[in-house]
Amino acid sequence: MESSILESIGVEIIGVMSPVSICMLLVVLIVYSLSPATDSAPPIRSAANLVYLEVPTDSTIQKLEGALLNALVFVIIIAVVTFLLVLLYYYNWTGFLKNYMRFSAFFVLGSMGGSIFLSIIQHFSVPVDSITCFVLLFNFTIVGVLSIFSSGIPIFLRQSYMVALGIFVAAWFTKLPEWTTWTLLVTLAIYDLVAVLAPAGPLKLLVELSQSRDEELPALIYEARPTVLADSRHQGRSLELLFGAASQLGSVEMQPVSGNHIGTREGGEQNVHPEVIVSESTNPGNLEGLLQEGDEVERSPLVGGDLGGRSSSSSVGSEYSVVVGSRDAPEIVADEERSPLVESRRRGSGNERAERGMDDDGSESELASSGIKLGLGDFIFYSVLVGRAAMYDLMTVYACYLAIISGLGCTLILLSVCRQALPALPISIALGVVFYFLTRLLMEPFVVGTTTNLLMF
Amino acid sequence: MTVAAGIGYALLALGPSLALFVTVISKKPFLILTVLSSTLLWLVSLIVLSGFWRPFLPLNSAASWPFAVLIITSVAFQEGLRLLFWKVYKRLEDMLDAFADRVSKPRLYPTDKMLIALAGGLGHGAAHAVFFCLSVLTPAFGPATFFADQCPKLPFFLVSSIIALAFATIHTFSMVIAFNGYSDGNKLDQLFVPVVHLVAGMVTLINFTTGGCSIGIPILYIITILTLLHCGKMVWGKLTENQIRL
Repeated sequence: MESSILESIGVEIIGVMSPVSICMLLVVLIVYSLSPATDSAPPIRSAANLVYLEVPTDSTIQKLEGALLNALVFVIIIAVVTFLLVLLYYYNWTGFLKNYMRFSAFFVLGSMGGSIFLSIIQHFSVPVDSITCFVLLFNFTIVGVLSIFSSGIPIFLRQSYMVALGIFVAAWFTKLPEWTTWTLLVTLAIYDLVAVLAPAGPLKLLVELSQSRDEELPALIYEARPTVLADSRHQGRSLELLFGAASQLGSVEMQPVSGNHIGTREGGEQNVHPEVIVSESTNPGNLEGLLQEGDEVERSPLVGGDLGGRSSSSSVGSEYSVVVGSRDAPEIVADEERSPLVESRRRGSGNERAERGMDDDGSESELASSGIKLGLGDFIFYSVLVGRAAMYDLMTVYACYLAIISGLGCTLILLSVCRQALPALPISIALGVVFYFLTRLLMEPFVVGTTTNLLMF
Repeated sequence: MTVAAGIGYALLALGPSLALFVTVISKKPFLILTVLSSTLLWLVSLIVLSGFWRPFLPLNSAASWPFAVLIITSVAFQEGLRLLFWKVYKRLEDMLDAFADRVSKPRLYPTDKMLIALAGGLGHGAAHAVFFCLSVLTPAFGPATFFADQCPKLPFFLVSSIIALAFATIHTFSMVIAFNGYSDGNKLDQLFVPVVHLVAGMVTLINFTTGGCSIGIPILYIITILTLLHCGKMVWGKLTENQIRL
């Protein structure tokens, strides 16, 4: 009996959904285990809090206005950073961008990862001395920096470090106050939509630049393992063919992509454009030690690969500020990394042309090397949403998880149909926010009411 | 009652589903997607139901007839949604078959179809277990436990997990029965599933009376075993008839 199609359909989607799920799960665990410790800490001022520091005693209108202002300022900062990124990339400062990204990854893994590890050690009373801890942390950070940007590292390690970066940044973001977090997420989703689809959007410009130069964008991207199937000719095209078949059922003509798909796997890992470059832009900030990181997250198209894949990169602007002053001083500046999901949405339907780009007729690129690429900012903001839902209840966590995963699935399907760069945040964040509030307001009284009476259906 | 107890209760409700997931479903990515979309569908159904019932809550727990109405409406809505799920699945099946023709692979086998139905049912069972059992399980991770009036001999969490296990099993395998019934046009199977669902829901009403769960839960498990047997018989029949044809 020949193997059925059920064996192979949907592999690429799962290859992206699993790391997203793992990232969300770990962030939820971190939030659950560490949350009581942070309640007593004074609110830290970060880039997302510049305008308004939320205090629980403020009225609703005040909180709403303050949160909106915060979100607006944040998005403006991110937009500026992205434009700066476009400028730097335009003038071919790619080396500078790469090195800055390396430094910022080092900093994130070391400082944010370090603080999370320290909290875990404190909370669970893990018996480890400070010298060992420091050495381990240092090793962890260095290997992380190496694995992200060099080509000789196994892809699994690179993927793990990407997920780890996402977890640390997301866990940091969950420390923001509630109203600010929700308005920030919604505003970022809208910004994402505009930045990728509008003609003058920075992400669109970035992608077009990289396409015209036929090289990859320097960005932080999670790259799913390229799928190796027995019948490699059809891999990667499966979703496209599936929806091509579907549309033909509906009597819509959709030309199947014809291409020479060479299923070469050897060296595929090397050629896969894993170069995620974090572009960081320095903050013209006046606070000491304020660094800004822009991480570009790149998304590559899901299937097809016949059309040149354009990758959109999202610039993530992260600001680090060194803590100055005493703990109770209001001008405490906390390190915060923002990773706006800029452009990670861009998902072209084709492969990264850059990674291959070797075909004579440039319109076809080998599909073999591409798995799906997802921008790191997407990971971060999905996890922030789920982490914030975790602070309320387990039911909201599950509902938001399902909403985000289904939004991601929808976006991937849309990608294979539309074949152009698409933003990944809007659908998922919109569904996530809607489901969170519906679950919290509607479902909880209903279900808890029936369950506590041992009534189920 | 500590993390161990909490995890124990969670595994009690979800253990077989997890085992099924790891052994059968996780091997095929498409089935994972089916589980996720099925869970989403039932979550949406719960949200719609709660939206509908919100003005009437909180119900007076002294009288049991409002709860009966609640259960009847909820089960009716969910069974209607199951029919919708079936229609969507039919369209998907056509798409998959067309795709299989394109890549010149064989069309969906009957076992494939039953696997997809199983994945759909597992999504339903998992949604039920998570929303009705796991979500109230959070206090169980703490240092104490809780006894409810309706079932004074067992901790509340334990009873809740046991009922959730029964329902998860019923949902998982009813979907297989239902899909087979719809595809074969077998009226008995088509009616079996809603009736079982309704009866199981009504049986939990017995839990209202003090000490009622010692009657209600065994009846629930009898229904579960009945569902399992019926599903097994049906699947066996389908497999053997195919063998003969081959």
